[in-house]
Amino acid sequence: MSIALRGIGKQYGEFAAVKNIDLDVPTGALIALLGPSGCGKTTLLRIIAGLETPDEGQVMFDGRDATLWPIRDRKVGFVFQHYALFRHMTVFENVAFGLKVKRRRERPKARVLREKVKSLLELVQLSWAGDRYPAQLSGGQRQRVALARALAVDPDVLLLDEPFGALDSQVRHELRRWLRRLHDELHFTSIFVTHDQQEAIEVADTIVVLNRGRIEQFGVPSEVYDLPTSAFVHRFLGQVNELPVQLRDGRSYLGPIDISAAAGSSTGGTQDIALIRPHEIEIGPEAVGWPAVVTAVRVIGPIVRMELCAQGLPANEPLEAEISRERYESERFGVGQKVGLRFRRWQVYPAGGTAA
Amino acid sequence: MVVADVRSPRRRAPGRLLLIGVALVFLGLFLVLPLLAVFVQALAKGAAAYVAAIGNPNAWAAVKLTLTVAAIAVPFNLVFGVAAAWAIAKFEFRGKNTLITLIDLPFAVSPVIAGLIFILIFGSHGWFGGYLRAHHIRVVFAVPGIVLATIFVTFPFIARELIPVMQAQGKDDEETALSLGATGWQTFWRVTLPNIRWGLMYGVLLCNARAMGEFGAVSVVSGHVRGLTNTMPLHVEILYNEYNYAAAFAVASLLALLALLTLAGKSLLEWRQPELRHAAREARDRTRRENT
Repeated sequence: MSIALRGIGKQYGEFAAVKNIDLDVPTGALIALLGPSGCGKTTLLRIIAGLETPDEGQVMFDGRDATLWPIRDRKVGFVFQHYALFRHMTVFENVAFGLKVKRRRERPKARVLREKVKSLLELVQLSWAGDRYPAQLSGGQRQRVALARALAVDPDVLLLDEPFGALDSQVRHELRRWLRRLHDELHFTSIFVTHDQQEAIEVADTIVVLNRGRIEQFGVPSEVYDLPTSAFVHRFLGQVNELPVQLRDGRSYLGPIDISAAAGSSTGGTQDIALIRPHEIEIGPEAVGWPAVVTAVRVIGPIVRMELCAQGLPANEPLEAEISRERYESERFGVGQKVGLRFRRWQVYPAGGTAA
Repeated sequence: MVVADVRSPRRRAPGRLLLIGVALVFLGLFLVLPLLAVFVQALAKGAAAYVAAIGNPNAWAAVKLTLTVAAIAVPFNLVFGVAAAWAIAKFEFRGKNTLITLIDLPFAVSPVIAGLIFILIFGSHGWFGGYLRAHHIRVVFAVPGIVLATIFVTFPFIARELIPVMQAQGKDDEETALSLGATGWQTFWRVTLPNIRWGLMYGVLLCNARAMGEFGAVSVVSGHVRGLTNTMPLHVEILYNEYNYAAAFAVASLLALLALLTLAGKSLLEWRQPELRHAAREARDRTRRENT
């Protein structure tokens, strides 16, 4: 089922949770709503589910206006961060719930119901847990039960509100991959909410970055990561170094490096800043580029993160650079070593806002 | 917790014994001893006198009236308490704080005043007195008045017990049930009610105990007509004032027995339903998580 949002707005008292949102989710897409807390991503998800009514705008399901449809008519599966399993029911009963509350005519026969629940429990690899109560399961297992329960009613849309937020990182990683595979097998439309850019990039086809109730950017993960259209998105999707762009004699500089030749090196404003990701910093011999001193080195598995104090910058605001483990092992940078910095890529924004 | 863990068990022991000792002494002095006294006094003149006191038609009438009043007041407050707690815990609306304050009112008002309120409204010189007399409806100094006063006094028990439970549980379970296609009614019976039955049981228990034991408000509206409008606590008082101690304590022991029975019933339920223990533990874990 395709979903379209047209001019959605929702106020809580004085606070505008979402403002004038337009969004198209094609059938079968897996979309991430990404943003910091309070950006309106959960409100938007709840509006799609029918758990909130928008103050303005329309929610369209397959082109039909579903804005005022009650939640039980929408055929959406909703998964909460804290699982919301019915704790007085066994895992089996939890998964069977959606089938048992159907109207008598549509309710499956006991045998069919049992088969269906069994196959769902197999799908989430919990066949052994049917008789357990939720309290006896781990967080990851509980979330899988919640997913099986949502899938039991054959939803057209699966909505997940920070589904992996309460899990530890190992389990989270596994469940992300598992969700991705499940989505590819079953072809429903999925929208999930997260504040974790890594998660969004890893799982989603399309990322919608939200900020203060508005859509900042919309695109495939690599595009949003590599070509952010605003400083906000640039900062939110990973680590960045921020440097002021200096204008001298009509040319733009980052420290001593003349960047005027590069496209988009200035917006003409005197308050421009350049955002540079740690892996976009090139570290070379002292004579080349911007002189700097290595102040810290930390090996993190396959990458090595270094802090560098560049000449002319305050010592308490070191630049952060990342190089590969191999590179580090051949060059053996040490704390106190003098090096030269160059920038492979950067992006310039005016003081407040969008890309040049 | 942390402080206790750091200390060695040997150093902790005397303090622990002292605390347990103090608790036991208090329990003995203020709970066990009075309860024993009730039964000892009741049986002071022998089993025959005990049976006679309970077999007395007026005593029987009091028992029946007390049970009838509780049987009306408790279900009424059950429905109201669940509805009010549901509204307060799961919805935002104007006047919510006023509603919470109003629910607490019976706790704040002296029961005697609660009784007087009903005299003022339904008594012969009260607001509706003329109308009621004209239609031969008796409210005060009759069973309806006793029921009204009891409902008023026991009003907050169930709602107060449920509000924090329902607030802690949030709306996720209900919203999940709705998204799975359940109707509002199905959601209530299959999800909300099982989730709160623990708190609900405590609420009903407290409400029932108070409904059977209420003295002040009922005393004002009852009129003390023996065999007609005397509840058990009122009957105990009358017997006591007539220096009929054995009979007074015999009826009192019945009242105490009813209380013990409710407690036993609760323990039995807890023991028979393993998932209740799960639910209780999970609720505890959840509040602990939220508190940290």
